[in-house]
Amino acid sequence: MSNFYHMPVLPKPDAKKVTINVDGADVEVPEGTNLVEALKTIGIDTPHFCYHQDLPVSGNCRQCMVETDGPRGMGLAIACYTPVRAGMKVATDRSSDKVKQARQAVMEFQLANHPLDCPICDKAGECSLQDNYMAAGRHESRMREDIGKLYKGSPEFRHEDAKGQERGGKHVDLGPTVILDQERCILCDRCVRFMRSVAGEEQLYINQRGDHAFLSTFPGMELKHDYDLNVTDICPVGALTGKHFRFRQRVWNLSKTETIDPFDSLGANITVEHNDGQAWRIMPRRNPEVNKSWISNRTRLEYQKLSKDRLTAGSFQKAEVPLAQAVARAGELVRGARKVAVVASGTLTLEDNAALQALVAGLDKKAELFSGSWAKVGSPDGIAQSGDPVGNRLGLKLLGISENLDELVARAKEFDVLLVAGHDLWALDAQKAKALEAIPERIVLSPWHDATTAKATLSVGVRAWAEVRGTMVNCQGRIQMLNAAPILPSPDLEPVWQVVSSIGKLGWTSELDAYKAAQAGIPALAGINYRGIGSQGRLLEGVVA
Amino acid sequence: MTTLTVTQNFGKGAKDIAVYRKLGGYSTIGQKLFDLSQFEMIDLVQRSGLRGRGGAGFPTGMKWSFVPRGGKPVYLVVNADEGEPGTFKDHVLMQEDPHRLIEGMILCGWALGVRTAYIYVRGEFLPAIETLNAAIKQAYEAGFLGENIQGSGYSLDIYVHRGAGAYICGEETALINSLEGFKGQPRLKPPFPAVSGAWASPTCVNNVETLMALPWIFENGAEAYAAMGTPKSTGTKVFSVSGDVKRPGVYEVPLGTPLMELLESDKYCQGVVGKLKGVIPGGSSSPVLTVEEAAKATMDYEALAALKTMLGSGAVVVFNETRSVVGMLASLTRFYAHESCGQCTPCREGTGYADRILKTVVAGKGRDGDLENMLSLADNFSYTTICPLASADAGPIQNFIGKYRAEFDAVVARNPEHADERVTPAFRPGAFW
Repeated sequence: MSNFYHMPVLPKPDAKKVTINVDGADVEVPEGTNLVEALKTIGIDTPHFCYHQDLPVSGNCRQCMVETDGPRGMGLAIACYTPVRAGMKVATDRSSDKVKQARQAVMEFQLANHPLDCPICDKAGECSLQDNYMAAGRHESRMREDIGKLYKGSPEFRHEDAKGQERGGKHVDLGPTVILDQERCILCDRCVRFMRSVAGEEQLYINQRGDHAFLSTFPGMELKHDYDLNVTDICPVGALTGKHFRFRQRVWNLSKTETIDPFDSLGANITVEHNDGQAWRIMPRRNPEVNKSWISNRTRLEYQKLSKDRLTAGSFQKAEVPLAQAVARAGELVRGARKVAVVASGTLTLEDNAALQALVAGLDKKAELFSGSWAKVGSPDGIAQSGDPVGNRLGLKLLGISENLDELVARAKEFDVLLVAGHDLWALDAQKAKALEAIPERIVLSPWHDATTAKATLSVGVRAWAEVRGTMVNCQGRIQMLNAAPILPSPDLEPVWQVVSSIGKLGWTSELDAYKAAQAGIPALAGINYRGIGSQGRLLEGVVA
Repeated sequence: MTTLTVTQNFGKGAKDIAVYRKLGGYSTIGQKLFDLSQFEMIDLVQRSGLRGRGGAGFPTGMKWSFVPRGGKPVYLVVNADEGEPGTFKDHVLMQEDPHRLIEGMILCGWALGVRTAYIYVRGEFLPAIETLNAAIKQAYEAGFLGENIQGSGYSLDIYVHRGAGAYICGEETALINSLEGFKGQPRLKPPFPAVSGAWASPTCVNNVETLMALPWIFENGAEAYAAMGTPKSTGTKVFSVSGDVKRPGVYEVPLGTPLMELLESDKYCQGVVGKLKGVIPGGSSSPVLTVEEAAKATMDYEALAALKTMLGSGAVVVFNETRSVVGMLASLTRFYAHESCGQCTPCREGTGYADRILKTVVAGKGRDGDLENMLSLADNFSYTTICPLASADAGPIQNFIGKYRAEFDAVVARNPEHADERVTPAFRPGAFW
């Protein structure tokens, strides 16, 4: 560690191309970037541990060796710290035995003190060490078992842990969220660099030196930060694991669904990982323009709510009724009402809100659309959250839905039916919400049993954010996709737009109908379909100055 | 009588500035110096052929010429973190003649436009640190340091920084990290310290002895210095001789002096104790010389490079027939495994593993193939690391085993089962069925 921070230069889509010679073939790669990235653009993966796109280059694992030409002829260099130069010659392990040998040598050293406990290691299946070993290892041990490994889990590696207790290196409780298994650590110092340069609070460091070096928190201190679980993602081995996921699932059984975090207006890109109809964890999905490779612990633990307290049926006058019956009853209430107040929500997708808009339009003068949120807005943390818990606030604005929830409170007595979707009004501000109890029929569409469904006269269970396909516009003006993971607690649950379509008899059959309605209302969406949004989202022109 | 350029004040009480000035000290700090331009000063050092005395032998004038000017402040850092096993010249130099170091630093400071200089001293050298601090105080009082030195308008401040005794902090970028308050671990290069070193500013890191040669060169001229030694290794060098010689100690001789003259001459070591077995010519990381090679060796950079070893820091370690080279290598590998900074993988794991193999061999549990494995590991970690520490471990391993193979084989053979086939218990045929 030093005061030097060389952030890697990553290839930009519009970067100038230069010609370099890789393994005897001339290829075009983006100028200025490092060789790991440049080789990636032409389909060559370079094994590495310490290098990470969003962390300063440290160059300590020595795994990414390539040969490059210099003043003294071809020589070994680490690809992560070698910038691309026009006309340079590069030899990878495909053409150079020297590179192959060097990588095998480094891999042997990586494994010299690494335990062979893959069968009980949580990282197995997504471990860089396993992957790189298969690609670049010796595959034949010459270590003497009676010389043995330096077992850093043993009490010899004594240090003071977060609770002030002397302990060895196995199963170290670093703080509220992360567990360290010292013996698996390969000292790449990614976690140290993350805490230092991304989280901005130095809480981890590498104690001691040589082969008796070990990762630790500072004596008597713990690893505690809103983003500390990211160290478990960037850990290339199974040394750092999160308490929330440790020993829950083998990672190769998990299927992944790409979606975004709807509870923050930056819309951090994530994957929901699920198996057997249940979400087991949320992992960050890299988007250089949005959240880089990071998500907050709040986003990461959002999956736990998906299987808790779910409203899987309807309830009418405190009695549980089947969903279909609840939806039919809601339709009758809304259509037969004198005047309906419909509350749209920024935590719902554009599709859902477009459906609510269409419902109000279809009811003509009998209905009025309200929106807004009583949730507290914080400030951006500079990493992966904007601080605004209303994920689709900008989307609502684009649809032309104004934030006038307080007006509804003032005029509550004018209405006889209230339709709320995606808002837990009574939990956010019970005092203001009390005025809404003057409306005799209160219909609530919610995925969860919450304070608002408790006050409802009719509640209808709907799908939660991870179970729907749709779009949201984040605070940068970027439209991003949510995708539906197959983790429904009940197969009868429908997305909000579909329930609203049934209530208002809109006749919509898929979210595409809803999206088309949203497109009609937002000129910036013209010509952009779901495929055009893609996995990295799409910046809408002229939406944010 | 050989001309002494560095150690001429030894034993004369030159610690005191009055004595030092009476012996001709600080005479270079005057109008003659401040009339010279920086480029003339660098040119003078380049013409003298002075090479870095810390170990690598890089031409000093050339190093200075890499330092960019007119931008960020330039720092001078004196590397007094003498840690190489066998080397003990720098702390003797600092203790005997601290003012010569200060004078050398002023000369270097003028050449590079340095305002602030640091002396990074190994923490264990407490007497040397006290001597230095006292000398610096005297120099401030006499107007050779601080604001406006001798009315020239040039100002220089010197701070003594105590290291914590890590061998790796002798590597210049690790030293700079340590100086800045970080863990002493080498940095990735480029940028080199001359361009971006301490506090991301141009930094010149020089050894104590290199700087102490400057006053003599300035006084007597570059040509007089270049006339000593060999054409490519000019001047004199201070050697710290230890081991099986009658009179070990610190000796200054012209470069190119035969090794045996240094060991046998009455002026110097007065002969080897017992029958000579080998000599390490330049500190523990330089490959060992056998008796035949030692007889041919002359002490200069080129001649030793021709013998595939190096002059290094000038630490001559002599050992006779009674010494076990296996034991010597074992203590060296233990040293390097302990001093590896732990930053990059091959050195961190490799030096430790090589040490554990050798420990097993020394304990009488060696097996055939262990030495080959050690050699192969040493080769693997010698070329894959950030800094030269690992190759400094690989050198002795390869040379001790290569040159005294029979002795190592004899130690392996102490294990009655040394030739048994290597069997991993779990994979013995028939272990499962």
